[in-house]
Parts: sequence; C-alpha cells; structure tokens
Amino acid sequence: MARTKFKPSKLTLFIGFLLTGIIFLLLPQNVTSKVNFAFIDIFDYFLNMGSAAQKPRPNESGEVVSKEEYLRLQTAYANLDQQYLDLKKQFDILSKVRLTEPDPSTGLVVAKIVNRKDHQLIINRGSKDGLAAGQYVLGDNAVIGLIEQVADDISSVLLITSTNCKLPIKISAPEIKSYFNGTIQGNGKTGAKIGNIPQKYKIKSGSNVYAAERSGLLASSRIIGKISKCKLGAKSAIVWDIEVKPMYDFENITYVAIVVIKTPEFR
Amino acid sequence: MKWFRFSMLILAATIIGSSDLMNAISVTDSFIKPNLLLILLVYFAISCETYDAIICCFSIGLAADITGTLIGPYFLSYGIIGTALNYIRKIIILKKTGQQAFAIFITGLVVQLVAVILMKMKISTVTNAGFFIVFATSMYSAILWFLLKIPVVTLGKWLGVGVHRFGVRMEERT
Repeated sequence: MARTKFKPSKLTLFIGFLLTGIIFLLLPQNVTSKVNFAFIDIFDYFLNMGSAAQKPRPNESGEVVSKEEYLRLQTAYANLDQQYLDLKKQFDILSKVRLTEPDPSTGLVVAKIVNRKDHQLIINRGSKDGLAAGQYVLGDNAVIGLIEQVADDISSVLLITSTNCKLPIKISAPEIKSYFNGTIQGNGKTGAKIGNIPQKYKIKSGSNVYAAERSGLLASSRIIGKISKCKLGAKSAIVWDIEVKPMYDFENITYVAIVVIKTPEFR
Repeated sequence: MKWFRFSMLILAATIIGSSDLMNAISVTDSFIKPNLLLILLVYFAISCETYDAIICCFSIGLAADITGTLIGPYFLSYGIIGTALNYIRKIIILKKTGQQAFAIFITGLVVQLVAVILMKMKISTVTNAGFFIVFATSMYSAILWFLLKIPVVTLGKWLGVGVHRFGVRMEERT
C-alpha cells in the first residue's frame, strides 16, 4: 500500500505557523526562556568566540545562580537603573539652577509637579523635605511662585499669576544702574501686575523684574519675568500700571526647585 | 529545497550573527551590526516559491527569537512580513540588487516595528532598541547586501532555492 505524504496547503501552513507563533507568544516567559538558555548553553563557546568572556576569569568556578536568583537580580538591576535615571534627571536640574545660585547656604529641593490647578501646582515634596509655607519656588531658574500649603509629603505652590500671590520685587533700570522697588501681584490670568510705582521713575517695557531678596527665604534676587506693558494708571495718572509676563510658560514645566535657606547652627 | 542544509545555514547565521565576531564589523559607538537573518529572510522570501518561503521565513523568525529573550515576536513578525514580501515579489519584480537592498532596508524597519508591538503585548517593561539603532542596522544590512549577494546566491543554489523537486528551476517552468 502506497504511503500518502502529508502536505498541507499554503494557507493551512501559514495559519498553522501563525497559531504556533501565537501559542509561543501566550506561553509564560519562564517557560519559553528555557529555549533561549538552552541555545546559549549549547553554543556558548561559539557565541563568545573572540571576546574577553572566553578568557578564563578568576571568579569563574562553574557556579551558576538559580533562575529565581537571576530574576531577583534582574529585577533589582531594573529598579536601580530607573533610580539612576531619576537621580540623573534631578542632578541635571539642580546643576542648572546651581549655576545661577552660588550662595552655598541656599538649599534646593527638587520636586515633581503631580497636579495642576488654576494658578496652583501640586508637588510631591512636603515638610519632611524641609518645605515650609512662604518659600520661593523656581522653575527653570526663574521664580514662579511661593509654597502655599505644606503636608508631610505633598505641597501646593501658589503661582505668581494668582491674585493671592504678592511678592516684593525690583525692576531693573540699567540706564541709571539702579532698581525700583515695588510689589507684584498676579492678575488672575497669565501674568502679573505691579502697582504704585510713581510716574517719576522711568520704567520701560522689556525691563527685567526680579524677586527681591528676603531674609530666610531668598538669598539673592531672582528673575520673575519682563515688563510687557507700561502705561499711566487709569485711576491715578501719577503712578504706572505695569504688566509683567513671566519668563516661562508654566504648562511646560514638569519639575520645580524650592529654595530652602539653611539657618546656621550656633554652638 | 534541501531542508537539512537550510537548517545548518540558519543555525550558522544565527550563531555568527549573535556572536562577538560581529563586533569586528560593527560601526559607531552604538555597535551597529548588520542583521544576517534579515538578509537571509529577504533573500528566501523573494527567491523561493510561496510554500517554501513560508517555512523559511517562520524558521528564520524562530532563529531570531532564540537569540533574544522572548519566543514568539520575531517568529510572527518575520513569518508574516516575509510571506507578505513573497506575495509583493509577484507584483513588483525585485531583480536588481538595489531593489533587493531597498527591500532589506524596509523589511528591517517593518519587522522590528511589528516585533516591538508583539513584545509589548507579552511584557510591558521590554526595552527595545531606539529608532536610530533599528534604522542604522537595516541600512547597514541593506548596504552589505551588495557584498553578500553573490555568496548568498551561491549558497541558495547549494540549498536548491527555486529548484523544483523534479529539478526544474522556477524560471524555467514559466
């Protein structure tokens, strides 16, 4: 009796392989990885041909770790790798801020923005990290607001665009190499305003506005933004109505740095 | 098609492709190396009959999976894309070396894209090569095809690629 040779059609063959692939894909990794390990074990010599791994190593005693140990170490490695990336990111942010903050007594705490509300940011640092209400918050080297409320692990930042945010400021006047002092307050929109600056002071659009230094809160002046509009006051023509545009768009900021002044310890 | 010889060739290509010997021809600091299995995939997909091409493509995919950490993603991506290329070959004749090199480049990108999607389905924490690495590997493989074409075609003849079981070549039958 002649033996009939089984030969599936092209479609059957393709679907068969496809289903096999799906089964492979659905199998747990610890099952399929046996094939990978077997391949490496069998062809280890050829795979390491010409590499330093082929040379005898002092700690090479033929010992291997169990798969559970391997997975544990692999998981630990993945976590450490992620922690390293997070720390590197924080280091990059801090090094940028530190470039313009040479005062060694100024401590900076980097925080991640976890939520945004109207003229308010929620950050993932709190009193445990040394945060307190009233501290200055920097975003990309410019003052963007103040710490408003502090809990153990979380805090809220009041942005300078909020009408509740008031700060002492300085307006630069490079022509006379001096500053005009004043107070900034958010306009409730995307900027802030400065009032009660007498008309006798020559204020121009484009001048820089700095947060004035404050004992225990800010060691040196830090920029807030630039004057976007400067006109005579609507209520009183003897003072300026000044509008300020913040340096950065708050929507693009993901990390902030809080200025924490270290008080000297007396013994 | 002589399947035993074929399996030996694939095994050799798999071992050489994943061995440190390939570092000798790697370029840039990212160690961009050509993908030998990708070159073979395209060659078999455009040179074999559909029936043989399906087997070849899935087999090469399995070989690519064995050298990695997951079984399945490359098996499916190489198999599906290779089979698709075999059908495309019937519409667009990929006879010139430049066309074949271009096919290697495009196939390299598509195969990796499909494989990454399938890997993500299996484990979410998979770390895949960046787009530049994939692009550069596909480009390098495509360029290398200009050098490897003659040896690969010679090996293909040794394997009986395109030769019907009664000894008549595909081109001669049509």
